[in-house]
Amino acid sequence: MRDVRPYLFAMLLVLVLASGISLTLQAQPPGYTVVKNLSAFQERFQKESAKVETIESSFKQNKILLALTEEISATGRFWFKRTDRVKIEYKKPFTYTMVLNGDKMLVRDGQKEGQINVRSNKLFQQVNRIMIDCVQGTILQSKDFDSRVFENEKMFLLELTPKAKALREFFQTIILTVDKKDYSANAIEMNEPSGDKTTISFLNKKINGAIDDAVFAL
Amino acid sequence: MMRCLLFSGIALLAVSCVSEYQHLIPTNPDTNCALRIVPRHTEVAWYNASVDVVGKHISGLVLIKHLPDSSWRVVFTNEAGVTFFDIGYSADGDFKTFNIIRQLNRKAVISILRKDFELIIGLPFRKAVYTRFDSGDEVYYGAKQNNERAYFITSKDCASLRRVESGSARKRLVSITMPSTGYPAPARIEVKHHTFNMHIGLTRIQKNDSAE
Repeated sequence: MRDVRPYLFAMLLVLVLASGISLTLQAQPPGYTVVKNLSAFQERFQKESAKVETIESSFKQNKILLALTEEISATGRFWFKRTDRVKIEYKKPFTYTMVLNGDKMLVRDGQKEGQINVRSNKLFQQVNRIMIDCVQGTILQSKDFDSRVFENEKMFLLELTPKAKALREFFQTIILTVDKKDYSANAIEMNEPSGDKTTISFLNKKINGAIDDAVFAL
Repeated sequence: MMRCLLFSGIALLAVSCVSEYQHLIPTNPDTNCALRIVPRHTEVAWYNASVDVVGKHISGLVLIKHLPDSSWRVVFTNEAGVTFFDIGYSADGDFKTFNIIRQLNRKAVISILRKDFELIIGLPFRKAVYTRFDSGDEVYYGAKQNNERAYFITSKDCASLRRVESGSARKRLVSITMPSTGYPAPARIEVKHHTFNMHIGLTRIQKNDSAE
């Protein structure tokens, strides 16, 4: 009788390799390779993104509800000014304004306006921090996430996985893509545990133009 | 003095015991009118939502969708896309919470959400067994729901749906009005709770408005 052990071994090897390959493919975003020297990248990322003092742009937000095969988009304007100041103004198809200014946050939803002291609410504090850290390039210093970094010719891709249970309830991962040209945020993708996702893409960015402090008035 | 207080107390008790639905007079249902006017929700709609509950205000987006298996789903997200709750009603009427954030995951909150949205969608009326009541120039069509009753209310000439209500034997609990045209896809839906301070305003979003 022929010895089948070499064939079995070969088949096992193929299976292991195949599963290994598929795991690698799953783990790595298509079109990107992993950045191997993370500490060197972090240092450069911190240094370069610190040169971004202001951003003014329009944005497009797209929310996909996977199980319900539904999608909704919104557009608006976005402002950032170092340090810790962000304003997001949704214009279509609804109006909603959110101003983050240090520890304070203002929301205006067309009918009502309310100030929130984000320090009084840990969840608001964390979400506020994520938005600001993503935009001003300090997200890799955050202790709230495990991070992996990938790159292609034009972009860096930062994959952030929340450590805390409270954040994991909302986000499975947050993917931040950063333009290699000026180290500014290109898009933020928030992936929910259900498979739903929201992507905010920043368009027509004006970097380091003058933005009046009054824009962030609360 | 004592007698006066006692009398006032009894009078107050008597008034509070009077049913808010005592004015309803049972009459024979007009099936044609009921079937024409019965609340039904459009297949899919997105709304800009504004919720005021006991002094707190929250806003976001609401999706109401009828799925191919005849179930309904209601999803509430904040403006930035983070899902706050995702609830559903199966074709045979079972209710399921698919996803809800910890802050809202309370039996009482889920019960309010379940009842409010099933009234908006018109689920209590889908068995098409109604009792008709007349009250002044209005006609109430009621469908029994456990200890409560859901009503849809029209005019004597059955011209249009005026509002939807749910109530216990004595109290009006929730009323839903659609102060705009376009039913069953109205531009605006207002939900008002009568036993505690809660109001939900839903303004329909036209998705094609979002393209820039």
